[in-house]
Formats: sequence, C-alpha cells, structure tokens
Amino acid sequence: MVRHDPQGHMRILREWVVRLWGTLTRRRLEDDLKEELRLHAELAVEEARRRGLAPDAAARTAAVAAGSQMHAMDALRDQRGLPWLDALGRDVRFAWRQIRRNPVFSLIAIATLALGIGVNTAMFSAVDAVLIRPLPYADAGDLVMVWDDNSRVGDSDRFFSTPAEWSEWRRHNTVFTDMAASQPGDAALSGDGEPEELPARKVTGNFWSVLGARPLLGRVFTEEEDARGNRVVVISHGLWLRRFGAAPDAVGRTITLNDKPYEVVGVMPREFYFMPARDIDVWMPTSFPPEMLRHWGWHDVHIVARLKPSVTIEQAGEEMAALSLRLSAENLMMPRSAAVTPLREELAGKTYTSLIVLLAATAAVLLIACVNLANLLMARGTSRRREITVRAAIGAGRRRLITQFLIESLVLSALGALAGLVIAVPVMRFLETLVPETMAAVRLTLDWRMLAFCAAVALAAALTFGLVPAVSGSRIALHEGLRDGGRGSSGPRSHRFQHSLIVLETALAVALLAVGGLLLQTFQHLRQLDLGIRGDRVLTLVTPLFRYPEFDRRVAFVNAQLEQIRAVPGVVSAGAISRVPLTVNDQATFYRLASQTRAEARDQVALSRVVTSGYFPTLGAQLREGRFFGTSDRYSDAPAAIVNESFADRHFPGRSPLGERFQFGTFGPKAYWYTIVGVAKEIRDRGVAEELRPTIYRVHEQADQSWDQPSGIVIRTSVEPAAIVAAVRHAIWSVDKNQPVARVQTIDDIVTRQLSVPSQNTMLLGAFALLALLLASLGLYGVLSYAVTQRTNEIGVRMALGADSADIMHVFTRRGLALTLAGLGVGAAVALIAARLMTTLFYGFRPDYLLAAGTASLLLLAVATLACAIPARRASRIDPLIALQHE
Amino acid sequence: MSNREPSKTDVLQGTLDLMVLQTLDTLGALHGYAIAARLEQVSNGALQLNMGTLYPALMRLEQRGLLRGAWGTTEANRKARFYALTAAGRRQLAKEKQAWDRMAGIIQALLHGPA
Repeated sequence: MVRHDPQGHMRILREWVVRLWGTLTRRRLEDDLKEELRLHAELAVEEARRRGLAPDAAARTAAVAAGSQMHAMDALRDQRGLPWLDALGRDVRFAWRQIRRNPVFSLIAIATLALGIGVNTAMFSAVDAVLIRPLPYADAGDLVMVWDDNSRVGDSDRFFSTPAEWSEWRRHNTVFTDMAASQPGDAALSGDGEPEELPARKVTGNFWSVLGARPLLGRVFTEEEDARGNRVVVISHGLWLRRFGAAPDAVGRTITLNDKPYEVVGVMPREFYFMPARDIDVWMPTSFPPEMLRHWGWHDVHIVARLKPSVTIEQAGEEMAALSLRLSAENLMMPRSAAVTPLREELAGKTYTSLIVLLAATAAVLLIACVNLANLLMARGTSRRREITVRAAIGAGRRRLITQFLIESLVLSALGALAGLVIAVPVMRFLETLVPETMAAVRLTLDWRMLAFCAAVALAAALTFGLVPAVSGSRIALHEGLRDGGRGSSGPRSHRFQHSLIVLETALAVALLAVGGLLLQTFQHLRQLDLGIRGDRVLTLVTPLFRYPEFDRRVAFVNAQLEQIRAVPGVVSAGAISRVPLTVNDQATFYRLASQTRAEARDQVALSRVVTSGYFPTLGAQLREGRFFGTSDRYSDAPAAIVNESFADRHFPGRSPLGERFQFGTFGPKAYWYTIVGVAKEIRDRGVAEELRPTIYRVHEQADQSWDQPSGIVIRTSVEPAAIVAAVRHAIWSVDKNQPVARVQTIDDIVTRQLSVPSQNTMLLGAFALLALLLASLGLYGVLSYAVTQRTNEIGVRMALGADSADIMHVFTRRGLALTLAGLGVGAAVALIAARLMTTLFYGFRPDYLLAAGTASLLLLAVATLACAIPARRASRIDPLIALQHE
Repeated sequence: MSNREPSKTDVLQGTLDLMVLQTLDTLGALHGYAIAARLEQVSNGALQLNMGTLYPALMRLEQRGLLRGAWGTTEANRKARFYALTAAGRRQLAKEKQAWDRMAGIIQALLHGPA
C-alpha cells in the first residue's frame, strides 16, 4: 500500500491511543457490542425468512449467525483494546493473586529483595557521586596528576613534586597540553572582625586553563599576574556568601590577607573544588620566587596536567618517568622517576577501592537473596505442578507458562524494589559521609538515575531468580500430564541446579565474611595502634607566622606566646611544631650523613619537623635513647637534631646513632652539620593510618636554615580542652592582637575523624556479611528441608529395607555438608583474590587471611550443620509406614 | 493472542475500508447490517461479510476517527447503531479512491497494454 502520508500515521497513532484507552477503561461495554451484533443476527434471520427459506434452514442460518456472533465478539474485544496488554494485565492480576495466596513466602521474598535492591541502589548512588558523575572541570577524563616517584628508595611511590620540577617538566614534556601546580598557602583574613584563617591554596596562573574552570563572577588571574607577583585572589562561592553576602560587587574589592592588600578578581561557582580539600576558600598566585624554581628539594606542590589528544595515560607515564630521570640527573640529583595518575582516582583516594568493595558486597548479598528465591520458586513450582498441568491441559502453551512464571517473579521483584527504595534513603544518608574530603560534599538523592538503576536491578534480579524455575516449571507440564501425585523429584537436572545454588551462596557468604574479617582485623589494629603520644586532653591549633618573616622575631614571638599560653589556668604544658601532628604533611627534604658520599645521599629524603623544646613533653612522646631538646639548645652553627626510630633503623640498624652528623636541605659549604642527640620513639604524625617515615626534628631556635615554621601549637590541659580555648586565644592576642588563630581541635577529634572511614567500611561490610550469612543459612535450610519432604517416599522405602534412622540422618547430613564444603572452598579462593585487590583498605597492615577465612568457614560450617541436622533429624524420624503412603 | 494474521487480511482490510467508506458516502448513515446488505447487493452476492470481519473493521475506522457511530432507530423502529462518515473520513475516502484509481490504471496497463 502506498502509505507515506503523515496523516495516515497520525490516524494509526490515534487508533492505538484509543485502544490503549479501551484496555484501561473498557470503553464501549460488552453489552453495547453484543446488542449491535444481536441486531445484525436478527436481521439476518428475518431476511432469510423473508426470502422464504424453510424453517429449519432459517434456524440453521440463525445458528450460524449466533456462532459467528461469538466469534465476532472475540474479534471486537481484540480490536477494542490491546490484546497483549490485556493479557499482561491478566497475568499481573493472576500473579498478584498468587502472591496473596502465599503471604509468608511472598513477604519473605519481598523483604529479602527489598534489602538487596535497596542497599544496592543506595550503594550505587554513592558510587555514582564519587566515581561516575562529571567532575567540575572541562573534559575531566584528560586530567592527570603527576608525582615524584620515589619507590626506588623504599618510600611510598608517590611524593609531592617540587616547583623546579613543575617548571622544567612543563618546558620539556611533549605529552601534555599544559601543566599547572598548586602549593599550600596561608590566607589570614583581617580587617573587619576577628582575624580568620582561611583555607587557601596557591596556584599557578595557568591552573584555571588546565582545569578548564570558569569563574561565576569576574575573572581568574593570569600567568602574567602570577609571574609579576600581583596580589590578586579568586575566592570560593562559600566565602563569597559568607563574607560578602553574595554581593555582586565583591569582585574588585580589596581584602587584607596576611596583612597585605589583595584584590578579589573572581568568584568560583559553587560546584568548583580541587585537591587537596573541598573547603578551599582562597586561590592566590604561587608567584614562585626564582630560587624556589631552582630548588629541587622542596616537595610541596601538586601538579595537574592535561593530556594531549591521542596521548594515553600510559604513554604520558613513560615519557614523564624518562624525562624526570634525565632532568633530575642533570640537576645534581640522583635520578628519580615520575608517576602519572588519573585525577579522578586521586580525588576519590581510598574511597575508590572501598566503594567498589562495598558495591561488590551488596551485589553478593542481592545474589544470595536471588539464589534463595530461585530455590523457593523451584520448590513451589514442584508443589504447584497440578495447577500447571491443568493450565497446560486447557491450552496454555509453554511460552505462555514461562511468561506467566516470569511475570510472577517480576511482580515480586517490583514490590521488592518499591520497598527497597524506602530502605535506600536512610542508607544513603549514612553513605554521604563516605565521600572523601577531596571531593565536593554531596547530598545523595533518589534522582531518575537511581530510579533507573533500581528498576534495572529489580529486572535483573527477577530474571536471575525467576528464569530457571520458570523454564523448569513449564517443563513439568510437558511430561507429567495429569498423572496424579505431588511426589517424586523433578529430575536430576533440577537437583544439580539446586546444588549449585547452595555452593554459590555458601561461597558468596564465606567470601564476604572472610573479607569482613580482614577489615575488622585492620580496624582493630588501627584502633590499637600506638600513636606514640598520650592523646587525651591535648588541644591543637594553628597560628600562621607570616607576620614574622624574620627568623629572630619569629623565635621570640613563638616563645612569648607559648609562655602566655602556659600561664592560662588549666594548661599543663605547651609546645609548637611546624605541622600539627596526625595531619598529613609530607614536606620532605634531602639529607646526607657524614659517612655518605654525595652520590650515595642523593636519593634519600626524610620528613622535616621544626619544634620547640616543649613539644615532646607536651605530647607525652617517648625517647628510645639520648635526650629531647632543652633550654641549652640555643642558636648555634652546630645544631642538634632528634630523629625517629625509622630514621635510626634505616641507617644505623642495631647500633646507636647518637653523635652521628648529617646535612639537611642544602649540602653546600655553609650548610649546617646537625648532630643526632636523641632518638624519639615513633610518633604517627602523618596520620593514624599512614605509614611511618624517617623524620628529622630540629629545634626552632636553631632552624634558621629551614623554611619550616613552628605554627602548630599543642597544649596539654588538666581540664576539658574546650573550656580553655577562649583563654588561649586571648593569651596569644596578648602578645600580638592581630595574630590569626585557626583550626582549633583536640588530638582525640583528629583520631576519631581519621578512624571514621575505616570504621564505616568495617561496619558496612560487616553488616553485609552478616546479612549474607543469615540469608545463606536460611537458603541452605530451605533447600535441605525441602529435599526431605520431597524424598519422604524414598526414605520410607529405605527404612522398610532396613536402614535405621542413623543411616538416614547420615545420608542427609552428608549431602548438605559436602555442598557446604565445596562452597567454602570456592568462597575462600574468592576472598583471597578480593583481599589482593583491596590492600589499600588495610592501611599497610597485613591482616591474617587464614584467621579470617578460617573463622568465616567455621562459622558457616556450624550454621550449615545446624541447617542440615534439623531436616535430617526429621527425615530419620519418619515412620516408614506413613512415608510409603506419602504423596 | 491475535492480530498477527498474515498480510492477506491487510489487503482485504484496505479494500474493505474503502468499500465501507464509499458505501457510507453514497447512502449516508447506515447500521452494520445495512452496510453488509448493500455490499452483498452491489457485488451480486459475491461479497458476504461475516460479523467477525465487518464489525472490527467498523470499530477500527471509528477508532481512527474516520467514522462516527451513534445509536438510533431503524425504519422498523429498532434500536441500531448507525455509522456516518466524519470530515476526516471523507478526506480519507477521496485519497484512497485516487490511490485505487492510480493502482487500477497501472494494473490495467500492465495486463492489457497502455490504453
């Protein structure tokens, strides 16, 4: 037919809409249609009569008319609505009746599905927020970070780079369109109100173009401004709201940062953030001084770069490694390599792995739930065989039956998904806290992506647990006929299927339990870690020292403010350090022992800390040997140093390093030779869960050759630390009323915060593992006890032939336990692989795999034994006479 | 399940639609039996429509907005459902007539050579 007119299509569309409507409303009632057809038939009969046909012929005509009336009615019904939709509706209604007929089964099924689907949906929302959603940069997939790679000297692989490296790499590389650097910065805001220390970052002028980030208002600063050292800043959306009341004319205003005037040139949009933290308020130009660009030992910059089109990250990694080796060799350093990593991975950090692990765990829980349901449906399929056979007998085809079964599964799954959404929301609230601090805080919500995911999971689940039972259920109809009897097995094929289900769910449960055990061990290890300090009642705060650039004035000010702090009632002692302990601070510098040649020394770094003599006693640190700093350590060209145990063990294993000398930071003729006067026991000052690194402490009176400034204050109190915060501030301001005081927190706060992520991981995974254990034991029990019912007849025969109850018990227990053991084997192997993939979650700790897998196996074995024993016992007690009659 | 009959019915449906529309255009509103009787008469008894073919076709045409059906009374004072062409139905008839003429012309030329 020649049909290319849009009107024709519109008409057909109209027909379908009407028919859809007809399906939903049954428009034009049956009676109406029947009436019309009846008239037709009557007229036909009358006509026949009028033509003078014999009465019997007329009657025949009437009968034919009546017959065709029924037929026409069917055709009309089909034309009125959408027959397949009608059929679907019937199937759904039928499924709903089935579900209501077995309320216990249905409730269990829906509840398990709700748990599985709900938790998966919530988990996916977290994965989506952290790993999938677009980052607030243009073409973020091309952004990478470049690090120094010091793995050759046994330090961790990645290290902050130096400004000199940034400058040289940028000039010589061929794989990036551009590279930008960012450096920690201080921004003490003063002027109106109390001075405030803002989280700040210094960034190179090309930072914005590399990220492809645009300001909400105003502009970003340029490379020329950066190079000229112009005092311009870009501020965060948060600061704009807070300090400027979202005033449109904030751009162009001048603010006082670090006692100097800065012009606000731009405001970033709310979504913008960048490493290392989401709460940066001020971005200022790095304006690297020329000597810093020549300094290859000052490791404190993040480098972010954009890959050229068609350059892969692997190629970039190779080129950068080679380039770094070449340049560092030329610049009097021992060659060191470079590493290139995707930005997204850096932003997600450890969360990346933990999210994947948790998502896998929730998927496993859902899979176990599906396995249980598949088992239950198989069992029910067998018990419904009579109904199925009847339906097959009255003409339901195989496909029809399978559709019907699958629709039942889908309805169950859909109900489970609906209930699951209710569960998902509170779980999401909990998961929000998992989003790492490097990324923007998120509010996880049920948006359309989550709903789509939820629907997809529900569909997949329905197919997973519904397909095999549907196919095997429909098969019953084929070979059973109406032969009576609900007994007998549905053949070895379905047994094998059920057995593999048991193995599968045991394996999943044991793997989850074992992995949960590993995390639990890690968490316990972290909690019991000796921090090397007494952390209770220690207050810390930060006093940026930009107002005291001259060494002598700085030393005097620090000592004076500490003296005032010590005078505050409730303060036991006070000290200062260049960075507050337990916060990540990786400034590291090169050093050379007197016994080393320059070549030997070129590749080694140690963390640098500058402290006051009160620091160690205040924290309650311990000495291994030697002494701490004291008042005798005055300014001198032969300064003293304290090293930590990692340092001592690296160079002086088994002997005392006291009296040994080294140069630090610079190796020239004017560089000091430091003498080791003490070895401090390890202090975990990089963070609770971080590895220890060799560390060198210098006392601030002797640290004029260091850029480290003792701006972190630690105060031990005899009262609740919070009670004296105001008094401490005033003590500081009594020395300098413009001194900013920032980041007031106790050591306990810091520890709790750092343990929150591993503790959440452990809790979540532990909860999933227990859920898995529960579901798996229920599944095991269900299948075995069903097997007993199914084989009652066989048991009767066996017992009639002389088997005693012990034999029967033996047969059933053995079957169940053999399956469990197979599952344990598989699960243990899975756990071993998983453990390999998630080592970052162990924070350098080596949890005992055998202990975890062993405990998990024993636990599951115990539950399985119980699950086997109860049905087996029931089987062994069966009266053979009754059993033989059992149908 | 139905509605999946082979294409033969499609062709028939197409012609049946055309015949129904033309009948109603010529005679005005008719009830189903009268349409069937008219077609039988015109075809000299060659076209005997059964209810299962006619009524679904009427319903389909109504669903497409080409006909409008309404209850009324016959001359014999019987309640019957009368079908009338809508404006869209009339347009559709014109279009289908044209298409039919063209197709008939082509077939004619093919079978008997150009006129």
